[in-house]
Amino acid sequence: MKTKKISFFILSLMLLLVSGLTGWVGNATAASDSGKTYVIGTDVTFAPFEYEDENGDFVGIDMDLLDAIAKDQNFNYQIKALGFNAAVQALEANQVDGVIAGMSITDERKAKFDFSEPYYDSGVVMGISANNDTIKSYEDLRGKKVAVKTGTEGYSFAESIASKYGFTIVPFDESYQMYDDVKTGNSVACFEDEPVLRYGVKQNNGLKIVTAKEDGASYGFAVSKGKNQELLEMFNAGLVNIKANGEYKRIIEEYVGENAQVVNQGRWELIQKSLPALFKGLGKTLLYTIVSLFFAFIIGLIFGFMKVGQNKFLRGVATVFVDIFRGIPLIVLAFFIYFGIPQAMGFTMPLFLAAILTLSLNAGAYVTEIIRGGIQSIDRGQMEAARSLGLPYRKAMIKIVIPQAVRVMIPSFINQMVITLKDTSILSVIGLVELTQSGKIVIARTFSSFDIWLTVAVMYLIVIITLTKIADYLEVKVRRG
Amino acid sequence: MAKIKVEGLKKSFGSNQVLKGIDVAVNEGEVVCVIGPSGSGKSTFLRCINQLDAITAGRVIVDNQDLNDPKTNLNKARENIGMVFQHFNLFPHFSVLKNIMFAPRELGILNAQQARDTALQLLERVGLSDKAESFPTQLSGGQKQRVAIARALAMNPDVMLFDEPTSALDPEMVGEVLGVMKDLASEGMTMMIVTHEMGFAREVADRVIFMDGGYIVEQGTPEEIFGNPKNERTISFLEKVL
Repeated sequence: MKTKKISFFILSLMLLLVSGLTGWVGNATAASDSGKTYVIGTDVTFAPFEYEDENGDFVGIDMDLLDAIAKDQNFNYQIKALGFNAAVQALEANQVDGVIAGMSITDERKAKFDFSEPYYDSGVVMGISANNDTIKSYEDLRGKKVAVKTGTEGYSFAESIASKYGFTIVPFDESYQMYDDVKTGNSVACFEDEPVLRYGVKQNNGLKIVTAKEDGASYGFAVSKGKNQELLEMFNAGLVNIKANGEYKRIIEEYVGENAQVVNQGRWELIQKSLPALFKGLGKTLLYTIVSLFFAFIIGLIFGFMKVGQNKFLRGVATVFVDIFRGIPLIVLAFFIYFGIPQAMGFTMPLFLAAILTLSLNAGAYVTEIIRGGIQSIDRGQMEAARSLGLPYRKAMIKIVIPQAVRVMIPSFINQMVITLKDTSILSVIGLVELTQSGKIVIARTFSSFDIWLTVAVMYLIVIITLTKIADYLEVKVRRG
Repeated sequence: MAKIKVEGLKKSFGSNQVLKGIDVAVNEGEVVCVIGPSGSGKSTFLRCINQLDAITAGRVIVDNQDLNDPKTNLNKARENIGMVFQHFNLFPHFSVLKNIMFAPRELGILNAQQARDTALQLLERVGLSDKAESFPTQLSGGQKQRVAIARALAMNPDVMLFDEPTSALDPEMVGEVLGVMKDLASEGMTMMIVTHEMGFAREVADRVIFMDGGYIVEQGTPEEIFGNPKNERTISFLEKVL
């Protein structure tokens, strides 16, 4: 009966895991059924080049161009929306075959990547709060702060003129964060690629453009140096074709032309429309939490008992394990596992595996300590009394020490569950679309930080409070025994 | 015939030598009380007899079985050596009845019915029949220690070790525990008792051992030790405690 229950539990976990896998990549387009499917990394929140629409589909100039080119050249591809920095790192680590993410062609990047012919000529403009009438030119920035997005043209441009005009740079990872910083007045201005900021202004992001477009670099499609050359050639050939047949112009017009669509909706409508995406994200958050905690528990059991055991060597191994994985910040561990190791060893690691590995190892270190602490909190006399009656160590452990230790551990386990659930949000940095990342994606499209972050926060709260209450109830039951 | 035989027993914790060479033989049915100042090594001595503390040198032989022989099954040997602790060490997650039934059941020595009957019998013997379904936290110190004695007796041991069994008790509860021990002694149990109850030692012991500084300083009948101690240190210790 007992083993049946356990195997059922494991089975349901596996099902959850598998069902989770099917959703971890973005939309895929099949142009033909022959040949290999290229995995293309992209940004998550770079409207109008790539962003998720209300239906959860990835749209934008890059997406439509790629689709048109793929159809023209008859190749299959699959979009992996990772975020810009993560996409670039994924390309370096050969986790993806190519990146299309409004990426400017620079000499620095050319050293690592091979670029297609430029497909869009961009340039940097300065944006300020729509209510601000004092900032008119770069001269007005002296002594002020300026928001920029890391790794963008805007960043390089800001850097190049920062000392001349005497302003400080505040770096952000996402465009909407930059806009919010300007809107709230922390920074007075931001530098961003012209089409991106123009699109944002059009979607009422609360900013206005006050300078003319600087001559800037052009966007290109990138592959790893020397790799996937046939993909690059197809991209170039397709680009020529869709420019010739007018498809290219139509796509650009659709997003930044005069008649580009404007999303204009009330707060409730906006929240309601974003809920399906947020709930999907919440589902992922729960899935990754449960699966990771399951493995963390197994890891914790193994190392926890090694730590309280008699064997000096095993005790040392367990101590090193805990020191390492408790000592590395989760975000660094995530980068290391997803980008670092695959790059060094020359293989690709699926995102779900990296995410679960990261969370399991981190939580596993803490669970190890919870188990060690729980067992060591039980008076030595309990073990001695059991041994004095003739019970072997294992039996004494299982029947006498552990049942008492578990009661001590339960509050810490509940605590760890809550921590791990919240920690899943950190994995958004490697492109895991859980609740926080889902929120970011919606904000990238709608620029409504307050409403969406409030909704996301409330969702976390409801889930965590519910889980904590259930756990409290179970704890009382266990204590009564 | 010696039930317990200790030869050249030494025990160190790190660089701290607690027992510096103990030789003693306890006969079947003999009641031996071990007295001495705190830190003299008496508790460690007792804990070395059932190997809760592994010995550093020497030999401990119980029932003709050398406990340090690698071929000896220590768990099996311990089944025959009951131990009662200063702090009772009852299993708090078990009822009184289950505390007593636990070891014989778990080790497959008695079936459920036999274990239950034995436990109830032992509870009656220690005067706690009405506490069978209670949990340890609901008992007084004296009651806890009597349950602990019953728990040790449930394994039907030949030897009982008592490590300061009344030291953690309120004074008014000491009597009930000593009473149970006295009964046990009169039934012919081989007992080694580390104790501070000099009156009890004088009344019940067949032999009193005085330990100090990791050695047995003096031993003899209660009359010899309490009435006519020969060693300086014994005299000075007894002057302080009597």
